[in-house]
Amino acid sequence: MRTPRHIVAAVALLAASGAGADTVEVTSTTLVSAGQQARDRRLGQEPDLVTVVPAYEIVSITARDIRTSIADDLQLQLSGWGSYDFDSLRWDNGTSESLTGDLMSAQVQARFLDRRLTLRLGREHVMSGVARMIQIDGGEAILVLPGGFRLSGYVGSPVAQRFASRTGLKSWNPAGGDFAYGGRVGWSLAIPGHAGRGLDVGASANVVEDAGDPVRQEVGADFRLQPLQTVSFTGFGAFSVYDERFSEASVAARWKPVHRLEVTADWRFLAPDLLLARNSILSVFSASTRKEYGVGLDYEVGHGFSVGGDYHLSVEPGETAEDNSYLGQDLVVRADWTRGATEAGGEITYLDALENGYWAGRLYGKQGFGKVFAAADVMSYFFKEDVNGESFAVTGSLSGGIELARGFSAVLAGRAGVTPFMEQTYDVMAKLVYNQTYTVREVR
Amino acid sequence: MNRIVPVIAAALLAACGAKSSKTVTAAAAEQPAVEFTHEAHIMADVACLDCHSGIDKATRLEPKRHVSVSCSDCHDDARGQVKVPERVKEVRFTFSHQDHLAKVKDCKTCHQALPEPGDKEIKAPPMAACTSCHNHQMDFAQAKCTPCHTDLKGFVPESAFAHTGDWLRTHGNYSRTSAQSCAACHDQTYCATCHASQTTPALPSSIFPEEVKRDFIHRGDYVSRHMIEAGANPSSCRRCHGSPFCDSCHTQQNLTMKSLTPFPVHPAGWANDKASGHFHGDAARRDITSCAGCHDNGASAVCVACHQVGGLAAKSPHPKSFARKHDAGDRRSNAMCAACHHGA
Repeated sequence: MRTPRHIVAAVALLAASGAGADTVEVTSTTLVSAGQQARDRRLGQEPDLVTVVPAYEIVSITARDIRTSIADDLQLQLSGWGSYDFDSLRWDNGTSESLTGDLMSAQVQARFLDRRLTLRLGREHVMSGVARMIQIDGGEAILVLPGGFRLSGYVGSPVAQRFASRTGLKSWNPAGGDFAYGGRVGWSLAIPGHAGRGLDVGASANVVEDAGDPVRQEVGADFRLQPLQTVSFTGFGAFSVYDERFSEASVAARWKPVHRLEVTADWRFLAPDLLLARNSILSVFSASTRKEYGVGLDYEVGHGFSVGGDYHLSVEPGETAEDNSYLGQDLVVRADWTRGATEAGGEITYLDALENGYWAGRLYGKQGFGKVFAAADVMSYFFKEDVNGESFAVTGSLSGGIELARGFSAVLAGRAGVTPFMEQTYDVMAKLVYNQTYTVREVR
Repeated sequence: MNRIVPVIAAALLAACGAKSSKTVTAAAAEQPAVEFTHEAHIMADVACLDCHSGIDKATRLEPKRHVSVSCSDCHDDARGQVKVPERVKEVRFTFSHQDHLAKVKDCKTCHQALPEPGDKEIKAPPMAACTSCHNHQMDFAQAKCTPCHTDLKGFVPESAFAHTGDWLRTHGNYSRTSAQSCAACHDQTYCATCHASQTTPALPSSIFPEEVKRDFIHRGDYVSRHMIEAGANPSSCRRCHGSPFCDSCHTQQNLTMKSLTPFPVHPAGWANDKASGHFHGDAARRDITSCAGCHDNGASAVCVACHQVGGLAAKSPHPKSFARKHDAGDRRSNAMCAACHHGA
């Protein structure tokens, strides 16, 4: 593992400038879990069961509004972890070593020119436009221009797990590759009358390469239109320049006819194969597309009780090339109740696709008793076609926790279930959390 | 790696000089109710400045320091100091009474409601009090909430940005156009909890099992249903996971051809029986991303053996749209093409 030099440089810069942060948020989670995982399945035999006991230390630090002579609102965000597997390696360890760790976010952000120019450096996500939340080690610049225009650009290397090779053949990053760049130009028009009313439109591009080979070459357009306080529309479209076809498009509408009721409708087009890396050998075999049509409704009944649901009709490819499309369905109905220290809710889910589907039910609840709380969560699935010869799965978890002094809290949780791949499964987890906000200048 | 995190943390805290003038916990302590009646004092023509002395010179919001008068200063039978309840929410915005009182003479212009006996929180003027004079439409559109708001943590978004309904499905469209608005409340460390899929330590629902209301992805026994959901929406996996991620588990389960005796996962007729209803070509056409979960191995992928030029499968495996857009030039320049098109 190599130490990211820019993080060390950023810390040195902060120290050298004698900066002071308005707010420093620190979270530390020390977590140990124990359970069993299956390995090495053989025909006609039960799989091997191994015991995994990973211990994690997860740390997150955010320092915000650091004032220096160099920049306004210097921010530093760091989120990382280390772990040790006391027994067998857990399946998502990502290495062949018991001791490992990674950085989820490690960036320095500064604003200049009366906060019109934002520079970000380090390990970060790029969320605007067609960047698809790509995680890179690199930099991003965002410039707010007169007339409501906004220009942003980024360059970096897609992040791989545990500082491993970034090539698409080894990286867990969906945009595997060693070089990525792109940007977005946006324009905002504010409509007076209510905060949020207005129009945001943008055009963007995203390019990823792997040793010079194309992995992704996409351009896209997006918009958000809120003509009234109660009505908004969003849309997005992405076009693969390399394959000269649309990879994705979506339009969604949201309407609140009355304060307690919200109605949504959406349409989505997808070409799943275009989300594969273009240098994947499998990217040459398929060009299928799917469409989804959906509606949703949420209603606040009152006294903390709300109900809602979403339904989507999916037009999938048929079983063979000659077949007509298959109509899949996806339905979720939910109810939720919150009152004081009590939270409770339930969901019923129905999913039907060509290959398989399920009916599912979930009940959950959480009750606080001063500084102590207890939570329960039960989920069950009944499959349309058997999974590994089984028709259902049930899992449940129980959690209990207590707020200790000085920002510390502790949680103990256990989970057990009967699943198609584990006739009986269980795991337990204990964690000690330190969560604190240091406000250096309380108010200004 | 393990050593650098505490080093950075220590360096950061030292650099920032975090002396913690006030430690704010997530859940503020239960406060006693207000005993002071504003209404009675206003009715008695007591001027605001009589109690809030110096407020017209205040350039910062410091509610406690704005009340320094004792009840006994006016009332013979009263003792003690006026108690100002602790704020349940932090003050996270900048405000100068000095600047505003120079232009707005009447306190009631903003302070239309005042704390009365029984209240447990200070009644701060709503944002509408600000926007009744200041036009912040463009600031809002550009998410220029600072420097008035130091940040927006603790506020609940309204209208289009309200996190209601199937927010897990819809939030992407908002973040693409308005990433700066998301950033007003959420640091990237928050987004990374779910979106840093290749660098997270574990599933969010495994780290936070007590957060039963949060919309965590892959909650519960996801292993048993991941292939169902992947089949229903093949693009959903690909947004976060590269093929080697899937393969790392499938290899441990002995499900891939890296083993000499892999566990059979494909039904009868998979290889070459088109009439079986399980022919691999149809499955690949429908959902090639599921194939990638085990077979995305570059030039050594199992597909190459049969589908390469001159291989067992005589027919071109490319869909028409692919063949139309990629020519001999691609075959020469692209390493992936060369895996099958030898010497093209």
